This record gives sequence, structure tokens and C-alpha cells, in this order.
Amino acid sequence: MKTIVIGAGLGGLLSAARLSKAGHEVEVFERLPITGGRFTNLNYKGFQLSSGAFHMLPHGPGGPLARLLEEAGAEVRIVRSEQTTIRVPLKQGKPDYAEGFKDISFIEFPSLLSHKDRLKIAFLIVSTRKNRPSGVTLEAWIKTQVKGEWLVKFADSFCGWALSLKSNEVPVEEIFEIIENMYRFGGTGIPEGGCKGIIDALEAVILENGGKIYTGQEVSKILVEKGKAAGVISESKKHEADLVISNLGHAATALLCSEALSGEVNAGYLKMLETIQPSAGIKICLAADEPLVGHSGVLLTPYTRRINGVNEVTQADPNLAPPGKHLTMCHQYVAPENVKNLDSEIDMGLADLKELFPGKKYEVLLIQSYHDSWPVNRAASGTDPGNETPIPGLYVVGDGAKGKGGIEVEGVALGVAATMKKILG
Amino acid sequence: MKINDNCVGCGQCASFCKKGAIEVRGRARATDACVECGMCIPYCPVKAIEVPA
Repeated sequence: MKTIVIGAGLGGLLSAARLSKAGHEVEVFERLPITGGRFTNLNYKGFQLSSGAFHMLPHGPGGPLARLLEEAGAEVRIVRSEQTTIRVPLKQGKPDYAEGFKDISFIEFPSLLSHKDRLKIAFLIVSTRKNRPSGVTLEAWIKTQVKGEWLVKFADSFCGWALSLKSNEVPVEEIFEIIENMYRFGGTGIPEGGCKGIIDALEAVILENGGKIYTGQEVSKILVEKGKAAGVISESKKHEADLVISNLGHAATALLCSEALSGEVNAGYLKMLETIQPSAGIKICLAADEPLVGHSGVLLTPYTRRINGVNEVTQADPNLAPPGKHLTMCHQYVAPENVKNLDSEIDMGLADLKELFPGKKYEVLLIQSYHDSWPVNRAASGTDPGNETPIPGLYVVGDGAKGKGGIEVEGVALGVAATMKKILG
Repeated sequence: MKINDNCVGCGQCASFCKKGAIEVRGRARATDACVECGMCIPYCPVKAIEVPA
């Protein structure tokens, strides 16, 4: 069985590693000179910044990505974060952090609710595990349950950090699947060596099993013969295969085989593709001599204008920064209508940092933004259209085809795992 | 270097520039330190950097 993978991002390499281990002859074609897509390290002024992801696995060593890495035989040490904290104003009722703040544990979020709402939440935590809410957005659902604004604020911070969406954009079903996954798999973790630690381990598996990875080779066409995927054309050369797996998202994949999809039977699929929206975000990378977060987990920041959360990966792997330095990365959601106003969005993010870290000395290393054709997620969470295409033998993986309830790379892993099940049985 | 409207501001080019000649804020901009070596071009994931004429 020969499989061609288009794109050496996380989804592509996970697929290639798993299939090469299962005995497939695997070839990976990558347009860029580097592998890893939006999940690798960028060396910048001695810091291991990243090309996208935050050097963090949402479910750490127990999650879908860690499980798939193990299945593929990729050896990576993933350090479980000690905790997730929420920064709240020192005095309840204050609108921001200007008059001081304290950090509380993630599970203490109900402490900011009224007594009545706290009881309601305690009840919901039990009852919703059996009877999951559905059919509305998370924000709309929260508003039907509790009165205060805190839970929406908290939900926006969490959704902003984890999905780069607002709670009024996320289907409540998706959040409850995420909550279930938190029970199932646990909290965050940091891979040793950052994102590239995982990419290197996957490449090693592919090469050990005789697979090939070509960088600087763009695929210009997906070949379809007798209605089935039959290979690709890259740099004017034909490469035949039994299966093709694309890591480019459904829309870009469809463009590579537009003739084969032109028939009336595929009109519904093509129409659906037009509805898929990518999510946008900004990452501000900070260098500091002293810790800004102080632990290896996420610090959620619901009382800012823009920043949703921060992590400090050097708490788990000091080698991601020069000796004695910390690498702290802040994420902010960007609303679709603000993608054209990135400059003012960045201004607000930087102003937030002054409130979040008053009196601390830090340097802004690099400000990175992601949207449109190089987004946070190619398909906003909760809208992923699955891994199959109308063409037998052609699958889509990556952040345009995440599995249900999978935050970021965990969603990529769930999508790849589902694809592997279809292919390998 | 000419950077076109494809640029999203991901900063990937800045990390591969040997001269530290790319500033990023919402999008990338080549500074006066740019020597037009073209090193950054293939690393751009959205084909935003154009070959100097």
C-alpha cells in the first residue's frame, strides 16, 4: 500500500508516521523548506518561538495526541503542567486588574458566582454529564442558566485561549465534548523541546520505516483515476499512490482536484466548503529574566480587553530560552471583523500586558498574527467537516478536519486517529 | 523585499532573516538593514514575499 501525504504539518506527519509504522510505503510532500507547519519551533534571538502553536498539548501526557504519538512509536517526553490558574481582580466587582489581582485555581471558578448561581453550577456539573445541552451557542446557554456576567467572561477567556473563538461562536455541544475530554484525559502538558520535539520524533519514525519526506516540493494537483485518488503531481512530476492524505484543509484540497469534483453530485460538498471559516488570533512572545506566570500551566486572564491567556513554557523546559531567561507567550482572540484592524488589536494586547504584569520587566520578542490562509484553525472549532472527501482514497487531516471536542492539536490528533481507523480498520 | 497583501504577520520570515531586517506587527516589513538576499522568500507560508526585480 502506498500513501502520499500532502503537507508536513502535525496532521500530515502524524498520519505518515502511523501509516509507515503499519507497513505503508509513505511519501510526504512539503512546500516549505521546513517541516512542522504551524507546529514547530522558530529560533529567534536564541528563544524557541513557535510557528503557531503554544508548545503545549491541551491534554498533556494523557491526551489524544500523546496516545497517537505512542501508537506511532514517536518518543517524546510530555511534562504535565502543575496547574491552570485564573487571574481575577483583588476585589470582586472591579472591572479590571488596575487595583490589584489574585490568581485562583481553575476549579475555583464558581467562587466568583453568587451563592444561588454556585448551587446551580454544582447541580449542572452533575446533570449535564447525562443530559448534554445542545442547539445553541455556549454564551446563549450560559445566559439561560445563571444571571451574573462572570461565567460568560470566564467562558470567553477559555474559548479565546483554547479555540480562538468567543463563547457566542462556539456550539454548546463542542464545549461539553471538551469538558468530557478534560475529565477523560486531564489538563495541559508541555512537550520537551517544544513543538519541534514532537515533529522530530515523528520524522524519525517515518524515516526508520523507510518513508520519505520531501521539503520544498509543492503539490500542484491531486490525481483522480476511475473516481479514486491515484497520486499527485509535484514540481511537474507524477507520483502514483493508493491513498492520498491532505493536510491542507478541505477547501485547499478541493482546489487541487477541482476537475474531479466538478460534477453535480459534489455540488453539496463544494457548497459546504464555502461555509467553513478559519479562526484568527495574535500571539505576543515575551522574554523575561523573572517568571511572569510562575507555573507551567495556563494563566487565564478574563479581565483584560484582549489577552485571553498566557503560558510560560520555560517552567517545564528551560531549554526553550537562553539560560536564565523565561519565554512567556500570550494569546488573544481576533474577531473576524477586526482582522483588518490588527494594529489596534495589538495595541490593546500590549496595553493588557502592562496591567497583567505591573512592575515586571519583560521584552516583547515578536508579535505573530494568524488569520485567513495561515490561521489559528483552518476550520473554527465545532465546524470541522470530518476527514473524508467525496473522492474515495482521499482524506483530509489537520486543523481543518479536527475531531469533535478536540482543542487545537488534540483535535488534529482525534481527526488523524479517526482517519487511521478508516484506513487501517 | 516587497511584501504583498498575502502577508498575515506570522513572523516566520523574521526568524529566518540573517540580518534581523524584518519587523513584524500585523504584517511584515523589511527595514533598511535588508540586503535583498531573498533568503526569507521560500519560508513564507503564504507566498507574500516577492522576488526583488
